[in-house]
Amino acid sequence: MHNKPGIRAKTLLTIGIAAASFGAQAEEFMVGAHMPLTGAIARSGTAFNEGIQAAVDVFNRTNGKHTIKYVAIDDESAPAKAVAAVEKLAPQGAVAIIGGYGSNIIGPASDAANRLKLTYITAGGVGEELTKRGYKTFFRVNNTAGYQRATETLLKEMDAKSVSIVYSTKEATAELAKAVEKDMSAKGVKVFLHPFDPAITDFKPIINKIKLQDKSEVLMMSAYENDYVGILRAAKVLKPPVKSVIGMWSLAVPKMASDFPDLMPSVIGTAMLPYPVEYQNAEGKQFAETYKRMFNKEVDYLSQFGFVKATLLFEAIARAADNGALKAGGLSEELRKTDRDTLIGRVTFDASGDNPNFQQRMGQHDNGKIVIVSPASAANGKLKYPSVPW
Amino acid sequence: MTELLLQSLYSGALVGGIYALIALGLSLAFGTMRIINLAHGELVLLAAYVAYTVESRLGVNPLVALPIALVVVCACAAIVYFLVARLTRYRELNSLMLTFALGVILTNAMLMIWSSDIRSTGNATLQDAVQIGSVYSMVSELLFFVLSLAVAALLGWWLSRSWYGRAVRAVSSNRDAAKLMGINPARVELASFLVAGILATIAGVAIYSSSVISPPLGHALTVKAFIITVLAGVGSVPGVLLAALLLGITEAMTVTLFSSALQELAGMVLFLLVLFVMPNGLFGASRRRG
Repeated sequence: MHNKPGIRAKTLLTIGIAAASFGAQAEEFMVGAHMPLTGAIARSGTAFNEGIQAAVDVFNRTNGKHTIKYVAIDDESAPAKAVAAVEKLAPQGAVAIIGGYGSNIIGPASDAANRLKLTYITAGGVGEELTKRGYKTFFRVNNTAGYQRATETLLKEMDAKSVSIVYSTKEATAELAKAVEKDMSAKGVKVFLHPFDPAITDFKPIINKIKLQDKSEVLMMSAYENDYVGILRAAKVLKPPVKSVIGMWSLAVPKMASDFPDLMPSVIGTAMLPYPVEYQNAEGKQFAETYKRMFNKEVDYLSQFGFVKATLLFEAIARAADNGALKAGGLSEELRKTDRDTLIGRVTFDASGDNPNFQQRMGQHDNGKIVIVSPASAANGKLKYPSVPW
Repeated sequence: MTELLLQSLYSGALVGGIYALIALGLSLAFGTMRIINLAHGELVLLAAYVAYTVESRLGVNPLVALPIALVVVCACAAIVYFLVARLTRYRELNSLMLTFALGVILTNAMLMIWSSDIRSTGNATLQDAVQIGSVYSMVSELLFFVLSLAVAALLGWWLSRSWYGRAVRAVSSNRDAAKLMGINPARVELASFLVAGILATIAGVAIYSSSVISPPLGHALTVKAFIITVLAGVGSVPGVLLAALLLGITEAMTVTLFSSALQELAGMVLFLLVLFVMPNGLFGASRRRG
């Protein structure tokens, strides 16, 4: 006689094993991104995008099982187009979104991703409001606090008694300026704020106020590339009696030194890396080699940010796919389990998706190189102070 | 405070000079054909990029690029004209859409050719500071301010004394009557577009020499030029110059006396104020017949 219960059990067992093994098979996952590849912040978006592409290359070569298909859509530095990009990527099968640059763009785009239940990771949105929305899908590897700490550490090391802050009224730049003002004023430093509309091109009236009224020791710029050039040109003409010029993101990069050699000497900006870059660890060397092969140029800190956020996401996707959580919408929870040393330091994500470990550094332009000058513990060169480009 | 205000007035006037260069071309095309060329800012920007290319490839002063930029920009202006001239129905609305589309095409073409990186001249002479009394400027700003006055004067002379200039005014005033008088309106309109191209070229080289350029800038330049054209009133060269200076000074004084965050708002408020008080603009001409 046939043993029907026994046959049934074996059949069920076979099906179960097949189903379990199906969940762990090699798969290709599509990851989408909205990036400012054109528009006012395209330089930053392009650097991010290149770093991400390098991360895709490294992951696909080294993972040995899963692969990533990366699709980037140009958001043209415009919030509405970033939202449209996210909404286009979702039905195309994106399992996650990598965000672009600029808190005013990241905000709406991550709103859209959250509505569509897509995990969203960025290194380009440091505005405080981004992590106060209660989204479980939002993650970022850097934040205003990290930039603020770096700036205040530098001002303290300079022993500056007064600072004039020229800042764009865009969200992240304004937030950072006001946060620095609040902290430094509490420490007895005189701070003068000069907000400007992003459309401004002639900064001479502002610089003249700094020269004739503020008479401060340090000129700080919380702005973007095109603003930095305008501010520095105006300062070269009017020559305010400041002792140093500090900027924020996208300033201490080699391209600024090569494109505007007359404006960059001794200017300080945020930079995780010196230039030329020399990585000591295997991951860094692999990134640098891959980047050089793909783009025939040296890495900079923006491309490094792109690489780090993408790598963390891809690793989380692979883990989630392997443990069956990806299809059940568990990618965000898997990403939240991240605790890893990366090229920008240790990265973990708290309940709001922020990386509480983030600490920026300050680099100073010096004859075509970028020297890390602050904090003193991470410096690879001496701070030139007082020193200005004129 | 006096020094602050003087610098503000001076900087505002210099910026106004460049605004005038940008707006004169748009105003001319608008006055002749009643067409707002929304691609005008992109033509200005194209000239700026030609100046950048000449400077970066040959290592020369960007002013040397003027002849090459003139050819490129005037050719593009002619293309814009020929496309617009083909419109027969709902011309005013359709020309807006057509020139807007051409502007987008030009912006993206510039992006593909020159990438998104911001550009600015590296010429040390043009970036040098010039001090007149207690006020400062860059050499390029002062140079192009003087040039804008000269160009405005030359344009005024051309419109009032040359045959083509008078023909432009005739066509602008009454197209049919001008035709009856033996003037070929199509040829005159093409001439006005070419002159607008020349003005855009000078403006583009001026902007590259004194400021920063990037592909999305064209749209902002068109808006600025449009505001000034409306402020000035149709067909008035002195009006454009005055409106441009007024706008530049208003913006600079707002930054100095209030906040730089209000600069663009101040320009818009001025625009609305003038429209309410003088709907035809500061030097508005009477309605065109025909």
